[in-house]
Amino acid sequence: MNARLLWAQGVAVVLLGAACTTAGAVAPPAAPRNGAAAVRDAQALAGKIDQHIARRWVKPRAKPAPLADDAEFLRRVYLDLAGRIPGVQEVRSFLKDRRSDKRARVIDTLLAGPRYTAHFTDYWRALLIPEAGNNFQVRLQQGSFETWLKQRVARNVGYDRLVRDLLTAPLGGGRPELAIFGGGANPGTFYLAKEFKPENLAAATARVFLGVSVECAQCHNHPFAKWKKEQFWGFAAFYSGIKSRQLMDFVVPAREDITKRALTIPGTDRTVPARFIDGTLPKWKPGVKTRAALAEWVTAPDNPYFARAAVNRMWAYLLGTGLVEPIDEMAGGTSTPSHPELLDLLAREFASHQFDLKFLLRAITNSKTYQRSSSATHKSQDDRTLFARMPLRGLTGEQLFDSLALATGYREPRNTGGLFSELLSGNTPPRAEFLTKFAQSERATEAQTSILQALALMNGKVIADATSLEKSETLAAVVDAPFVGTAGRVEALYLATLSRKPTTRETNRAVRFVEEAVKLAKKDSTKRAKARRSSAYSEALADVFWALLNSPEFVVNH
Amino acid sequence: MLSRRDWLRLSAAGVVGASVSGWFEDLADAAAAHPLRKKACILLWMSGGPSQMDTFDLKPGHANGGPYKEIATSVPGIKISEHLPKIAKHADKMAIIRSMSTKEADHGRATYQMRTGRLPGGPVQYPTLGSLFSKELERPGAELPSFVSIAPYRFFSPAAYGPGFLGPRYAPLVVGEGQQGLIPIPGQQRNYEDTLKVGDLDRPRGVSAGRAAARVRLLGEMQKDFLKSRPGLLSQSHKSAYARAVTLMNSKATRAFNLDEEKKELRDRYGRNVFGQGCLLARRLLEQGVPFVEVTLATVGNLVLGWDTHINNFDGVKRMSAVLDPAWATLMEDLKERGMLDRTLIVWMGEFGRTPKINGNRGRDHWANAWSAVLAGGGIKGGQVIGQTSKDGMKVEKRPVRVEDLQGTISEALGIDPAKQNKSNVGRPIRIVEPFKAIKEVLS
Repeated sequence: MNARLLWAQGVAVVLLGAACTTAGAVAPPAAPRNGAAAVRDAQALAGKIDQHIARRWVKPRAKPAPLADDAEFLRRVYLDLAGRIPGVQEVRSFLKDRRSDKRARVIDTLLAGPRYTAHFTDYWRALLIPEAGNNFQVRLQQGSFETWLKQRVARNVGYDRLVRDLLTAPLGGGRPELAIFGGGANPGTFYLAKEFKPENLAAATARVFLGVSVECAQCHNHPFAKWKKEQFWGFAAFYSGIKSRQLMDFVVPAREDITKRALTIPGTDRTVPARFIDGTLPKWKPGVKTRAALAEWVTAPDNPYFARAAVNRMWAYLLGTGLVEPIDEMAGGTSTPSHPELLDLLAREFASHQFDLKFLLRAITNSKTYQRSSSATHKSQDDRTLFARMPLRGLTGEQLFDSLALATGYREPRNTGGLFSELLSGNTPPRAEFLTKFAQSERATEAQTSILQALALMNGKVIADATSLEKSETLAAVVDAPFVGTAGRVEALYLATLSRKPTTRETNRAVRFVEEAVKLAKKDSTKRAKARRSSAYSEALADVFWALLNSPEFVVNH
Repeated sequence: MLSRRDWLRLSAAGVVGASVSGWFEDLADAAAAHPLRKKACILLWMSGGPSQMDTFDLKPGHANGGPYKEIATSVPGIKISEHLPKIAKHADKMAIIRSMSTKEADHGRATYQMRTGRLPGGPVQYPTLGSLFSKELERPGAELPSFVSIAPYRFFSPAAYGPGFLGPRYAPLVVGEGQQGLIPIPGQQRNYEDTLKVGDLDRPRGVSAGRAAARVRLLGEMQKDFLKSRPGLLSQSHKSAYARAVTLMNSKATRAFNLDEEKKELRDRYGRNVFGQGCLLARRLLEQGVPFVEVTLATVGNLVLGWDTHINNFDGVKRMSAVLDPAWATLMEDLKERGMLDRTLIVWMGEFGRTPKINGNRGRDHWANAWSAVLAGGGIKGGQVIGQTSKDGMKVEKRPVRVEDLQGTISEALGIDPAKQNKSNVGRPIRIVEPFKAIKEVLS
């Protein structure tokens, strides 16, 4: 038999047959209410956030940065809630808008828009299965996990519900599911990413959902923190029924013992019962699934960790630094919150508003704290825990690519076969290649630029096409725009890239640059130069466009 | 204002050093000018996991052995595969480790572990070996990046090829990617010689040199206000990356990528394929001062699966060997002739070995229990075999070598302190190599 065919068939059988089952037909969850009352509550909470933050400025005599102007605010809130910069028209109409509540309005619009779903699906996927970056099997099943997430983000299910659905997802024993290569909706990828191992699942559950880092206690009693080895394995015992097996190159789930409630610590003969991380034992009723009990406890409104971990994470996402750092080690370690009352308040409000993520995002983005400029005006603002200025944050690969695509009118060529072709050929499609090159491996506030990134933006195909008159929609439209003059064209390029109008100085500089280029072309009287004279003007505009796309102001969230 | 921590990090990254510590830089330059002071490393990365049973640890006469014969090498008593005759002549410069003993037999996990020294999972993003070591070996003021990755096949574990918590400053310059899929798809393979060049290094088509320079000048003008009002790590790092990119674009050192400068005869000897020419490129990059180059060999031509020989192992390994043998041997000779071999460590390894037992498809599956890796050249006492496997190849019987033992030994051979710590993305300092037992007898 042809070896290639044999192998390809093997892969197909394994991948298709081994997929975890879809988490049944989930009844549409009730979306948390976004009624007028909840919106008012969020705005009231925004005001309280500012009071708490301002209170800590008194003693060090901090001088906060001024509020961001409309353009700075708009770009930031688009990147944070929609995952890309605003379009030219969106900027223009926002700047023209005279209503005093226009910022709150644009926040509402973005939270209700389709880009919110796309962006936060990326966000949660990156958080929940970071292993997609180092495990090809996880990567193959990333698409189906995204589909599962997307269904929930789109309906804005409560965060507690999202986590419950994930922690109780049925595994194994079901019928084969076409959950690979984009088909199906499958939370099982989370379990695959943690290799179906109780210790990995427990560590991820504690870290991501409770803000508690217990990994060290896996092997030894933590020298600083209060978690003990036995406690760690007790927590892991909630996942003790999960089993997997190796099928050729792939790990697949085996039938789960859904009521198993104890685990033997590897390398010992000590068996520990499933025990919550605060030391309490579940009140077992007969027939209750072990993981269901865990999910109930984790997501309970009175869980001391759950809501705090979520609000701290969202705070760090929007403001660069958590109220407790590191965000994965909120409890048990030596870290203390910079604003303990605020953290408690946010957690309480989040829980009492059905764990509605949009409520939380709305409250923070409506605050003055979020809306401060990133422009440094006083030394005291350098202390990031004072939140007296918005820090610069690097963009994720997705944010940058989608912003570039919008600014330049770039369209991804039709995909030639996706992941499967990537697996076989080792070739990466342009967007994926870009995402790899611009993947964020550090904290957003410490994101650095690499030479390869700089080269890609200076000379790469996306930018080359964007600044080529034949290929760029944006540039062609700007050059052909009637009645606006060079200054008007420069303004359009600034709006398309930096999402703001240029200052007079900037306009003058760019106009001068264009005029000089044209003059230079006229002076040159060689034959070839003459032929190119007519294009000198548009080329110079293309150069301005290029410089804008390569500017630090474009590639960071500020 | 820069915070103190930013300042330290920027100084470390060479961004702000010049004005403050000019005298220190002079010292560092003087040190770097001694070409013998620091070593360089070429990692020959065998993605997919080559069969130790059919390369460096044959078991003739045993049912697990398969049809290959052993041949003598330049060192009496050391025998390797008949399909590696050219390499065999260099056994006196090689330490063959037959007792690699690891635990991961999944491509993704094992690739991550062998290339970072750690298991995947958890919040720490570990750097790949090239990033870790090149950070220690780099020369101040070098125009080329200190780490070049040639023809990587990153699919198994993309994170295993990145700088992790060291950040993009230590990311590899990648050339020749997309050449070695598991199944080459006709029409998708470009001319490999074109791909062994740095992507995006040339200015876009139709943009003259003058125009490109004008663009960069305009960018410099335009960003001034922003950089001034928003100082700190992000804007400084952006500025520094662009400065380095422009330097690279204008650097004469990039002629290393122009393989046409080499004699046709030498190019033929390396082998006219991605890996062969990649090895030649590695030598040229070392000559330009790049301290760490990795060249991946995953598969050749239209061979299904490459080293991952689940099916038709003996046909596959023979074809892989035919590419590996001349390339590696010529690299050793070429380095030797140029007086570079003594300060160039060559590491040959994959993510694991293959099952001693031959499966129903005449293939061998994944095997981490007992397999081979090779260290050669600079810093290595050649002409020896380390460890021993059982007659059936199933077990290590002597001197098991763990992942960290191998990496610690590499680190010491390069003159790098393996206990040195870097700051990680979770705040905790992390050693270059976890505590290990060096394979002392291979260090010269």
